[in-house]
Amino acid sequence: MRSLRLPSFALAIPAWTWLVTFFVVPVGAVLYFSFGYKPGIFGTHATDVLSFDRYAEALSPTFFEVFMNTLWVGIAGTLLCLAIGLPVAYWMAVKAPAHRRGLLIALVMVPYWTNFLVRTIGWQIILAPEGWMSQLLQTVGITDGPLAILYTRTAVLIGVVYNYLPLMILPLFVAFDRVGPALREASKDLGANRVGTFIRVTFPLARPGIIVGLLLVYIPLMGDYITATVLGGAQGNMVGQLVASQFQAAQNWALGSAMAVLLILVIMVSAAAIGFLLWLVSLPFRVRNRVVLEATA
Amino acid sequence: MTTATEARTVSDPDQRDAAAGSVELQQVTKRYGDAVAVDGLSLSIQPGEFISLLGPSGCGKTTTLRMIAGFEQPDEGDILISGRSVLGAPPYRRDVNTVFQAYALFPHMTVAENVAYGLQQRRTPKAEVRERVAEALDLVQMRRFADRKPTQLSGGQQQRVALARALVNRPSVLLLDEPLGALDRQLREEMQLELKLLQSRLGITFVFVTHDQGEALSMSDRIAIMRDGRIEQLADADTIYARPTSAYVAAFVGQQNFFRGTAAEGGSAVESEHGLVRGIRSARLAPLADGTPVQAAVRPEFVRIEADAAGGAPTTGANRVQGTLLGVSHLGETMQYLVRLGDDQSLIARRPTPEAPDLAVGAAVSCTWSDTSVQVFPSDDAAAAGGYVAPPTH
Repeated sequence: MRSLRLPSFALAIPAWTWLVTFFVVPVGAVLYFSFGYKPGIFGTHATDVLSFDRYAEALSPTFFEVFMNTLWVGIAGTLLCLAIGLPVAYWMAVKAPAHRRGLLIALVMVPYWTNFLVRTIGWQIILAPEGWMSQLLQTVGITDGPLAILYTRTAVLIGVVYNYLPLMILPLFVAFDRVGPALREASKDLGANRVGTFIRVTFPLARPGIIVGLLLVYIPLMGDYITATVLGGAQGNMVGQLVASQFQAAQNWALGSAMAVLLILVIMVSAAAIGFLLWLVSLPFRVRNRVVLEATA
Repeated sequence: MTTATEARTVSDPDQRDAAAGSVELQQVTKRYGDAVAVDGLSLSIQPGEFISLLGPSGCGKTTTLRMIAGFEQPDEGDILISGRSVLGAPPYRRDVNTVFQAYALFPHMTVAENVAYGLQQRRTPKAEVRERVAEALDLVQMRRFADRKPTQLSGGQQQRVALARALVNRPSVLLLDEPLGALDRQLREEMQLELKLLQSRLGITFVFVTHDQGEALSMSDRIAIMRDGRIEQLADADTIYARPTSAYVAAFVGQQNFFRGTAAEGGSAVESEHGLVRGIRSARLAPLADGTPVQAAVRPEFVRIEADAAGGAPTTGANRVQGTLLGVSHLGETMQYLVRLGDDQSLIARRPTPEAPDLAVGAAVSCTWSDTSVQVFPSDDAAAAGGYVAPPTH
């Protein structure tokens, strides 16, 4: 008897269906709307005349400034997450006692189980000019006046780093853990100290995980608008807020779509550029350590 | 040639030359919580010696090696390499290199880059790195694989690269942690021979950790048999094989038939329920009072076997037992016979294949061996319980 065999791509059908319905089609629609216009006070979009006009509108100086602000928060936030997350992940994977790992991972995850909005609003309380942090800093004498961070870009930066840090720590932890102790021991046995071992063995082998962590933080961070709305105020605007306000408040889907498409492009181009830059920076190191023997006689 | 290796050793050249390559463990103890991994171990390894630490898993041999390498620090005692204490020194400041059990090759580097790693850490000039890497790869016949990644190599090839990666640094002492364990049998035997040749050619001290007695016997100048964190016996292969100082060593190296009973004739013989098994007193033992529980050991290769000639009287000075043949197995160079003597006593005899008698399973057989092939040990050894002890499988 011949058993019924589905082609192997059948395994991917559920995912495909989902992605096409809820991702490809909407993104296609957004792309299409972005070439249209807002027909009148009561219409949200019209596509009978297509043009690049909405893109020109989106890149007006006011909007452009918000784009640059978003890029700044995105890059600074991602690098801060890396700078804070890398030592923690390394310590968890390498130095911490093995039987404590489950606990440590849970501790990293616990804030993540709390509602995103709630823990962001929590920062409002901490950063408020009359909040305990402000009072503490004044009492100790670190600042003269009340804390003037809330509703600035700095507050947004603090918020996004806090919100996205677990997304950096977890892939880095997995990456460092996978390198394993044997290769580090081999490196030290061959004369490399701790720093040398990290630079030439641990880091290169953990690089895929580091790239995953950077992308996991950078991409959602660039599109974030909750953190910016709650902590950013007028100074800390991000593109996500603009897109949301065009769709919801201004009812201008065409302009909102153009901004959304631009944001996607900025994320892709900047991620590629950063990747290329990192590759370029590492090139001299790779070349220096390359060993090519003359062909055997 | 001036190398970093020389720069790292003591300044006084005379003292250095005399002691270079020696390893001295003085009353070394290592504990993990309540468990004692190494227990007051002392061992003196000569420069250029090939020494094996042999024992079952958990006997402390790997911990000992890791303390010499610097991955673990002893809780008590001192470790001297080339005459200088290395207590507290990290692995990268010791003039030793390790060949790891699972090779631990860097997967993101080519074979040549793996081998160059140690030299690069010492800021060796590029031209010299290339030269010495090529030399080291030639030594293990891996030059033509220089540009491959370790994952593209077989186990035996990875093993050679790991060896080259350690040897290229010209360490005074090379530590090998069960390096042949992952290889199949034929390759392992080839590598044993190559390792031994390499060691005598280079004159480097080799400290070889293994649980495989065959490996230890075939390569080592001396073997340290370890048990529960101590050295049970330290001697060359011949002595270990012929004159084990305890039933544990006797059982661990090679195969043994054990007869349990009580001492007779002042400890030189054992009274067992299978008749008087005569023996010689073990060299190390104090005379045993008659009636002391003891065990006699005889190796299968010393036991002759023949069809039971009814009424044949035992030859003077020899041991003779009768039993039923349970099975015959062909081991290649030898034939092995399993003989049942009593309810819980069996005996293994082994004869070279060309002169092995043709016996049917179930036949009545008689086994004989000379008293000079018998060792008598005090009966305090759990490892030697039972009629015979099967050798560690390999």
